[in-house]
Amino acid sequence: MNFSGSILLVDDEAHIRKFISLLLRHLGTTRIFEAPNGREAIEVFKKERPDLVMLDVNMPVMDGIETLRALKEIDPDCVVVMLTSLANRQTIDEAAALGANNYIRKDAPPEDIGRALAETIEACFEPQESDGDPAPS
Amino acid sequence: MDEPQTHHPSIDLKGRRILAVDDDRINLRIIGGILRHEGYEIAEAGSGEQALETYASFQPNLVLLDVMMPGIDGFTTCRTLKKAYGDKCAPVIFVTAKSEADDVVMGFDAGGVDYLTKPFRPKEVVARIRTHLSNQQLVEQQKHLVDQLSMANAAKDRFLGMCAHDLRNPLSSIRGLAELLDENAIGELTPEQKEIIQTIHGASQSMLQLVNELLDVATIEAGHLKLDKNPTSVVEIVERSVHLSNIEAAKKNTRIEMRKPSGDPIIDVDRNKIRQVVDNLISNAVKYSPKGSLITVTIHTDETVAIFSVSDDGPGIPDGERHKLFKDYGRLSTTPTGGEKSTGLGLAICRKIVEAHNGTISVENLPGHGAQFSVSLPLYNK
Repeated sequence: MNFSGSILLVDDEAHIRKFISLLLRHLGTTRIFEAPNGREAIEVFKKERPDLVMLDVNMPVMDGIETLRALKEIDPDCVVVMLTSLANRQTIDEAAALGANNYIRKDAPPEDIGRALAETIEACFEPQESDGDPAPS
Repeated sequence: MDEPQTHHPSIDLKGRRILAVDDDRINLRIIGGILRHEGYEIAEAGSGEQALETYASFQPNLVLLDVMMPGIDGFTTCRTLKKAYGDKCAPVIFVTAKSEADDVVMGFDAGGVDYLTKPFRPKEVVARIRTHLSNQQLVEQQKHLVDQLSMANAAKDRFLGMCAHDLRNPLSSIRGLAELLDENAIGELTPEQKEIIQTIHGASQSMLQLVNELLDVATIEAGHLKLDKNPTSVVEIVERSVHLSNIEAAKKNTRIEMRKPSGDPIIDVDRNKIRQVVDNLISNAVKYSPKGSLITVTIHTDETVAIFSVSDDGPGIPDGERHKLFKDYGRLSTTPTGGEKSTGLGLAICRKIVEAHNGTISVENLPGHGAQFSVSLPLYNK
């Protein structure tokens, strides 16, 4: 995966953050921020302005849908990938309507997660490259 | 203790309430005496009107109703009770001086369950009343039992769903972390560490599969199976499964070959669900065939249906075990040939998915050896 931008990983379950962050590092991403809920995620987002957000749906304090709405208000162009466990059609549609760029099932094997992430990065960052505006690298 | 009571020792009817209705006070006294002696609780009413009032407050388990009474007669009283209380109305036994056939038939028409003729023979009265009260009690018990069982079953499905749901995330993390370690994500492992991490990976993988299957069963059982149907190419679905399964099959030196039809049959299905069925049938074929086998997947159409079949090289379905095959937890005596795991849920889930698509799934043993599983699904009508 040819992406060295920064990623904000938001999930209330520490083992999921551990797993996804290790996977991201394995795929070559070094700048990874983590947050255990939406409220903290927004703080980190404002401060660090990550290139991509991976956002869990079911979280205490502030859930993924609410967080997505807030993130898009701060920056309508931010790239957000929803992390779902049981793909609930309604949630996915709701997230898509709010501007989520993709969704990934976190219970998928690492290679599937990596593939879905690579697809999103390709779709969201490469057009800039063809405009002569280099993607973060 | 050679009392006749020993014939029905299991049902205790003491304290059951009987409403006796008769305009003749002597009769009421006689019947009241017999029944109280048996341990029943008795309320008396001297007319139909009074019976309706007393019924409401006394809530009897049975009504003894005189037919000939001034005011509203027994039949009308019975009809009124049936109308007011419906299915919940206590059984009504008519009491009549004449045992003429017409009278009896009218009584049954009015909703009575039985009749007694005057003058009373105590043993007959007691026996008939006992019979009807027992019947009623058994019906109530059965209803209660059915209610309890369906509640317990729904609770089981909810529990299963919750459990499976909460186990999924941690399990997928364990599996994912193990896989990453195995791929040297944090550095080279010693052969022993590698073996351990592969064991963790294998165990969490099969547990995750079990949890997913349990969740599928719970979802389907609770009636929450939602189909997201779209016109889909059978060839496309099967090709993808064959491709992916070939990677797994190669570990056992097994090959999966696909025979395509001349056309491109289209079915209107939930792609992911049907994919799950195809994956399951192919992986079963790999699982139960000896190493180095050839598995054949064919697709053809027959008038209004598309059929795909998976033929394996395994031992076939043992006689007498066929009925277990598509049932929940229906594991057979045959065992996987490469140490793979089986939950006994896969084919039950397949059947439920296929049936939800108005299709059928079947199996037959091939001549010689091996089994052929076939799924038939309606072709899409544009």
